[in-house]
Parts: sequence; structure tokens; C-alpha cells
Amino acid sequence: MDKDSSGVVPDHDPALIELWLLHLADSALPIGAFAHSFGVETLVMAEMLQVADLDVFFQPWLEQAGVTEAVFCRAASRLATGESFRAKEWLELNDYLSALKPARESRKGSAVLGNNFLRAALAVCNRMPLQHANEESQRASAAVQHACAFGLVSGALRFDEDQAVRAYLHQSVAGLISACQRLMPLGQVRAQQILWDLKGHIIDAARSSAEFTIHDVPCFLPLLDWGAMEHPELFTRLFIS
Amino acid sequence: MLCTSHQEEVAPATLAEKSRMHATLRLAFARDDPFGQTTLAFSHQDPPLRVVRAFYRGDGSAMTHLHNVSGGLFGGDDLALKVDVGRGAEAQLTTTGATRVYRREIGTAITRQQNEFIMSEDALLEYVPDAIIPFAGSSYRQDTIVRLSSNAGMFWWEILAPGREARNEVFAFERVEMQTNIAAGDEIVSIDRMKLEPHKNSMTSPGRMGPYLYWATFFVCKVGVEAEVWLGLEAHLRKIAADLPRLEETLWGISTLKAHGIMIRCLAKQGCDVTSGLFCLWDAAKCALYGRHAVRPRKVY
Repeated sequence: MDKDSSGVVPDHDPALIELWLLHLADSALPIGAFAHSFGVETLVMAEMLQVADLDVFFQPWLEQAGVTEAVFCRAASRLATGESFRAKEWLELNDYLSALKPARESRKGSAVLGNNFLRAALAVCNRMPLQHANEESQRASAAVQHACAFGLVSGALRFDEDQAVRAYLHQSVAGLISACQRLMPLGQVRAQQILWDLKGHIIDAARSSAEFTIHDVPCFLPLLDWGAMEHPELFTRLFIS
Repeated sequence: MLCTSHQEEVAPATLAEKSRMHATLRLAFARDDPFGQTTLAFSHQDPPLRVVRAFYRGDGSAMTHLHNVSGGLFGGDDLALKVDVGRGAEAQLTTTGATRVYRREIGTAITRQQNEFIMSEDALLEYVPDAIIPFAGSSYRQDTIVRLSSNAGMFWWEILAPGREARNEVFAFERVEMQTNIAAGDEIVSIDRMKLEPHKNSMTSPGRMGPYLYWATFFVCKVGVEAEVWLGLEAHLRKIAADLPRLEETLWGISTLKAHGIMIRCLAKQGCDVTSGLFCLWDAAKCALYGRHAVRPRKVY
């Protein structure tokens, strides 16, 4: 019987795969996500984003940035499930997503999380595509974007693609809501209510991402772009981005 | 009767179809050595796209106005602008006024504009058009490809107005899609892609436009310039932007691209603040990268 390092359960057992996904999509995974607001901190400091706005902020975020990230997550997942690992495509995928991010801090922040996520995954499940991706990215001194790393690991561990994309989006929104809790008077209960109410939009964004490719997915969040671009100028900062 | 009825049903689409314009404007600028003057060496002009002449300037550059003699872009129009700036040449392109995108008639296709700018080694392009104004009911798609060779540079902006504000046409267009891909050799430098459908997605939500109406993106690129220089220029331009007037009405975001350049994103409540700010930032960036001032296009603003 195939056995994983977890002990007695074969690594194609759906229950085990589900637990792996829960583990890797947990915002408590120590990759540094808590240190990034991706421009939200600037919007809060400029009083352009308040608690009452959060519902209407996260919906377009999911429709635009969420869908874009999800498209790349899907593409990376498919790379890992191919017969042989296509290193050139892996590098291009990350390069493409980097080029789509206009703000330096957000681009680099996502790359830090991507690198950390890939290495964290490698440490617990040493799969061939993950090794190759890590080696190729290091050799080329290339960024590993978070959405791509999550997608690649999801594919390597045979997560259901739609499920993995939803988990990635859920984790991303949860991270931003957590950032909002530290930036504005947003209590635990209200924060959880916002996240709860966004689940339908997360599902919609995940579905929508299946209709795009990396060559046509649009993203228009100029106010958040401004926040992310100008974040380095904040005098006091809780977050790296 | 049957014939008349048939004509009534198909006539609007057929007429609209007939009035569609498929046109290409090709321009090639070359450096005329040993004088060091850039000239408009070649042009191919399909109506309604026209250039009348190039103005040759003291700094060796050539400046050209882009005309659309039909007065704007109509539903079903499929226009292309292809510009080659040869080795060491310096060209400046501007429009004669705002680009008006008219309401799309029933049965006509989306209005399309395709742009391709190719800069050879050491070339410089300054693409500084007036705003695009999408009228109520208009549907517009613009695809731009920029290819930069070694040591080539560009100052390139695009301004999008919310519509005809004086008629209270604010975000009343059907759709605006714009994509700009910039590459330096084989390397992707930036991809900027948006699709706006105000009737589907609120433009005023925080994260999108908030209370702002005008959007502009300004790329400053020069291939081969080190990352540290771009970081320094980012800081310098940020200081310039901080001193621009009416900052309570305008936002300027400035960031280095992943390589070879800087992107400046502007959101403003009034269009005049966009243009005046872009001129200041363009001048500062040109002084920093080329050691000389930006020369504004010869026209009335």
C-alpha cells in the first residue's frame, strides 16, 4: 500500500488530500502573509477605506485582482499535472504575473510569499514539479508569485483545481480582512461576518477565472494600485506592502 | 411589401456596416545622419487617419500630429497605428484633440484601435496624446504593443475621460477595454489590461475609481538603465508629484516596473489636473534620463 509520510494513509486518499489543502490554505501557514496589506494600509491611512466600505471593496477586489490571481493559480496547477514539468512555461507564468502588477511593493510582496510557500511545501511534500520549479526559479533568479506557487503545489498534490482556486481566494481575502482588523476599528465578529458573506463572491470569482487565460484576464483597481504604489511613502507602516 | 419589410429589418445594420472604417496609419521615423535630425521617412495613410507633416525641432527630434479627419471613432471602426522609430531617431506623436469614441449603433461591432510602436536601438518615442472620451453607449477596445530595443526609451501616456461631463455623461459608455503590453527585447516589462463596463460594475467603489473621474497611465522607460537609477527616479518623481497643485483633487501613484522603467498612475476629478501634472512629471523624467527638458507638442491646450 502506498503510504505518505503522514503514516498509514495512502497519498491518493481523498480525505488526506482534503486535509493537505486545509493545511496549505490555512492563513496560519508561516509564509509571512500577515505582513502584507497590498496597498490597503495606504487607503485606510488616506481615509479612503473605512469599515462601512469593506463589503463594496472586497467584491470588486475579487472580480478583478481575485480573478486575475485565480487564472494564474489554475495555469500553474495544470503545469504540475502535465507528464513532464515545463520549466520555461513556469518561468513565463511568473514573469507574466509580475508584469501585471504595477506596484513594486505588491509585486515583491507576492514574490516573497510565493517563494516562502513553495519552500514550505517542499519541506513537507517533496514532489518532482515543486523541486524543478524551485531549482529553475533559483537558477534564473526569477520571482515566484504566490498565486503561481499555490497553483503548482495544488497540482502536484492532485487537489481538485476548482477547489484549490476557491481555497486560494478565500485565504487571500481572509488575509486582507485580517490586515483591516489591524488597521481600522473592525471587530472579530464583524470581520468574520464580512468573510462569511463574501463566500458567494469567492465562488463566482473562481468560476469566472475559468473563462479567462493569462493572455486576456483584465484587472482594473486603480485606487488600490495607487495605494500600493504610494505605500513606501507612509511615515508609519504596520505592513511591508 | 415583403421586400420593404426585409429592407427595414436589415437596413440599419447594413448601412452601419458600410460606414465601417478599416484603416492603417504607418509611420517610420529615421535619423538623418550626419545632421542628427530625425525625419518622417515613410508614411502610409488610409483615410480617415492622416498626418500632414513632421515638425523638425532644434533638438533633432521630429514631432507629428495624428489626425482622424472623420472627427472620431465610430462603431465598427477598426483602425491601426503602426510606428517605427529607427535607430537613434527621436519622435514625438500627439493628437490634434481628444479622441472621441461615438455611441455604437445597433448592429455595429465594437470600435477597435490597434497600436504598435517599435523602437530600434537608441531610439526615443514620446507619445503624448489627448484624452480618450468614450461617449454614452460607446464600446471601445484598444490594444497596444510596444517593443523597445537596446537603450531605446519612451515617454508614453494614455488618458481616459469618464465621458462628456458637460452633458452629465459620466461613465455612461457601454464598454472600454484597453491593453498595453511593453517588452524590452524578449523580456516583458509591463502588462496593463482593463475592461470597464460601468453598467455591470460600479466605477465608484473603493479600489476602483472611488470619487475620481479621470484615469491616466504614464510609462517612462529606457532599456538598460539600472534598477537603482529607477528607484532614485521613482523617489524624485514622487517629490515632484507631491508639489503639484490641487492634490486634494488628484492622486499620483509612482512605481518602478519590474525592469527598465516606471509607471505613473493618475486619478483625478478634473481632466486639466491630469495634463498639467503629466507635463511636469514628463519634464522631470526627461531631464533625469536624457539631460534635457521635455518640449511640449506644438498645439494649444
